[in-house]
Amino acid sequence: MPRPGAVIEVDRNTPPTLFHYGEGVRLEKLPLGSRIVYPPDPLDAIAHPERAIKRALAKPLEDDPLKSLLRSGMKLTIAFDDLSLPLPPMAAPDVRQLVMEEVIDMAAEAGVEDIHLIAALGLHRRMTEDEIRHIVGERIFSTFWPDRLYQHDGEDPELNVYIGKTADGEEVTLHKRAVESDLVVYVNLTLVPMDGGHKSMSTGLASYRGIRAHHNVKTLLGSRSYMNPPDSALHHSCIRQGQLIEDTVRVFHIETTVNNHAFPAIANFMQKRETDWTAQDQAMFLGMKQMTDLAPPALKRSIFHAMRAPYGLTSVHAGQVDAVHEKTMEAVRNQLSVRVEGQTDIVTLGVPYLGPYNVNSPMNPVLVVCMGVGYMFNFYRNKPVLRKGGVLILTHPCRYEFDAVQHPSYIDFYDEVLADTTDPAEIEKKYELRFAEDPWFRQLYRKSHAYHGVHPFYAWYWAAHAMEHAGDIIVVGGEREVVHRLGFKSATTLEDAFEMAEQTVGRHPSVTHMRMPPIMLADVE
Amino acid sequence: MTWYSGEGGLSGLVHTVGRITDDVRRVRRGWHWDTPRPHTWPEQGAVVPAPASDLGWARQEPVRSIRYLIQRGLLLPFTEVMAHPKVEGREWVRELERPVIFAANHSSHADTSLILHALTDRARERTVVAAAADYWFKRPLLGNIVSLFLNTFPFSRTGGAQAQLHSSSQLLKSGWNLVLFPEGSRSPDGRIQEFKPGVGHLAKETGTPVVPMHIRGAYQIMPKNQKLPLPGPVRVRIGKPMSLQPKEGSREFTARVEKAVRALATEPRQPDLQGTWIERWKASKPRDLRYED
Repeated sequence: MPRPGAVIEVDRNTPPTLFHYGEGVRLEKLPLGSRIVYPPDPLDAIAHPERAIKRALAKPLEDDPLKSLLRSGMKLTIAFDDLSLPLPPMAAPDVRQLVMEEVIDMAAEAGVEDIHLIAALGLHRRMTEDEIRHIVGERIFSTFWPDRLYQHDGEDPELNVYIGKTADGEEVTLHKRAVESDLVVYVNLTLVPMDGGHKSMSTGLASYRGIRAHHNVKTLLGSRSYMNPPDSALHHSCIRQGQLIEDTVRVFHIETTVNNHAFPAIANFMQKRETDWTAQDQAMFLGMKQMTDLAPPALKRSIFHAMRAPYGLTSVHAGQVDAVHEKTMEAVRNQLSVRVEGQTDIVTLGVPYLGPYNVNSPMNPVLVVCMGVGYMFNFYRNKPVLRKGGVLILTHPCRYEFDAVQHPSYIDFYDEVLADTTDPAEIEKKYELRFAEDPWFRQLYRKSHAYHGVHPFYAWYWAAHAMEHAGDIIVVGGEREVVHRLGFKSATTLEDAFEMAEQTVGRHPSVTHMRMPPIMLADVE
Repeated sequence: MTWYSGEGGLSGLVHTVGRITDDVRRVRRGWHWDTPRPHTWPEQGAVVPAPASDLGWARQEPVRSIRYLIQRGLLLPFTEVMAHPKVEGREWVRELERPVIFAANHSSHADTSLILHALTDRARERTVVAAAADYWFKRPLLGNIVSLFLNTFPFSRTGGAQAQLHSSSQLLKSGWNLVLFPEGSRSPDGRIQEFKPGVGHLAKETGTPVVPMHIRGAYQIMPKNQKLPLPGPVRVRIGKPMSLQPKEGSREFTARVEKAVRALATEPRQPDLQGTWIERWKASKPRDLRYED
């Protein structure tokens, strides 16, 4: 029986605590009485995923069996999530591949000749052929690539169809192929509670026009947090858009969840609580620490990014979007929830090497903010672990390092926009449209492997809530100039950071360390 | 008595060496090794080639295992690095139940490695390559080395239909797939040349299906008369296996294969030749695992 998550109080015998530090790791001694919140152990994976998938398709929730929806002569579109999930990428076979193979088998039996597979990228970068092959598997790739398996393009004027406005005035666009299809099967992988549901179609197959309805500062400040859909204005907006999509297109939704077995055997110590470390784990830690201290960044990156997570499938549901998503959320919460009593003056977070937007590239400073201050801070329900006006401490090297292919607009965002202001609302007002409509960024998004011109803005907006909530944000071990450009304070050591934090939260503050990844969701009482 | 028989000792050895030396000297003088050919001799006739070997040793163990290691360790990685080939239609050669003839366009020495790279391990291990006898097997050492690497056998381009048929049909009948370049030689400009009728004859004689293949980009890697390959992208497109229709002549069938290879060269996909997605999907179905009790 896997252990649930735990909150451990630091005493004299507590071993040092692992902090992720970009493409590196550190051991830190936390003050006596600090709390360390650990994620639950990985849930047992379903032993026969193929059987579970077949069952889900045969007995869907509030919908007819998929087989009965397929017929010869129909137009079928299968849309699926891109490589921003899960993190790290899953060891083959990816669960999306297993699901899609079942769906395609059924379509072949039914004689559906007109079938297309679309990677629902939204405004993310186009994947490389190898990345797509990894998600869909060799069999699907060799059968359908490139004429029937392709990637969504949110900037193609002919392929994005405006389908209407919600009651709240949110515009909705959708990929033309989906609109023209008799059936759209969406294959999702939900890793965290913000994924899936109506958000899949309303962002994955949409254009800037549709996505900006909810990816904005006002909506994100109204999402407390966006990791808990019932309290998230972002999700309410997506649901309204999704309902309009359901009125336009026949959708059969399939959602899968995986456990939080995020690290392969070579990095097993990252998966475990420090008190569980065996001699082998300690040796592996020492080896990795020495390697990451000495190796050049490119080598470290290639080693870290080559890691594939041995995730196991924990649930698969199919049918009507809301019914399916409710079950999926239940499965996600079972895996991620940790009860945490009360808020704290200081929260510490080790920011790892990988976030949703830097698969196979370095995590640039804007993405460090997105990951640490955006996503990791927001892994809560009810209220943040950090009290209002408290201090958030992150560990990350925060180098001035950008991938010019994947993140060209991030470079301009950092050099031009952040030099002017770090206030999300002001940034949105002054700069967003110019970047979103920049023809060069548009060209790179459509033809190269670049994120959309507006994407760094969204990455920054994800952090808007935490920036407003925290009294101070301190980055330990980051490049001083970069950290200041981000609008934060820089500290050399964790002890220095605590000392600096005292000026904001007073002496003898309460400290909580969120030991992520693997990810968790703090249920704060 | 021989020098190594132990009889005669040192004097025996000296005797033997002396005898061999006498023999060599006699031949050297008799055939004028160090002087021009006497003009009184009659005019020299055509060189009569030795009877062709079908290089059966190359298809025996342990040579097959050695070739497997050479191909997996050297040839295929080198091909991958040089050409990073994109293969379309691999499903048609995954589960071959009976031997087939792979008929491809030919513009480069790289074609053979690209075809072998496009095949599955299982299909590659049972594939022989028809190599021009008058080119590759002119020098026996070269011919044998190429056979070790690529499992080639000598294929006469000049001996008429019957000569072509004999050894090839024997191989097909004994379960080997056959790679054949029906153009006969490498294209001088990269364009597909007219197909010679051998492929049709062979298919008709043996009742073997023909898998049309088109290789795009090999000419840029190593065109005719270029000694060393240059890296470049390649696409290998494999079509559905084609069989002789009832009452179809071998020449008509050859023309149909040629048309198929030419059509595979064009964009986009050719469902008639490559199969509908449903056909390809079913062809690529993994074999069911069977567990022993």
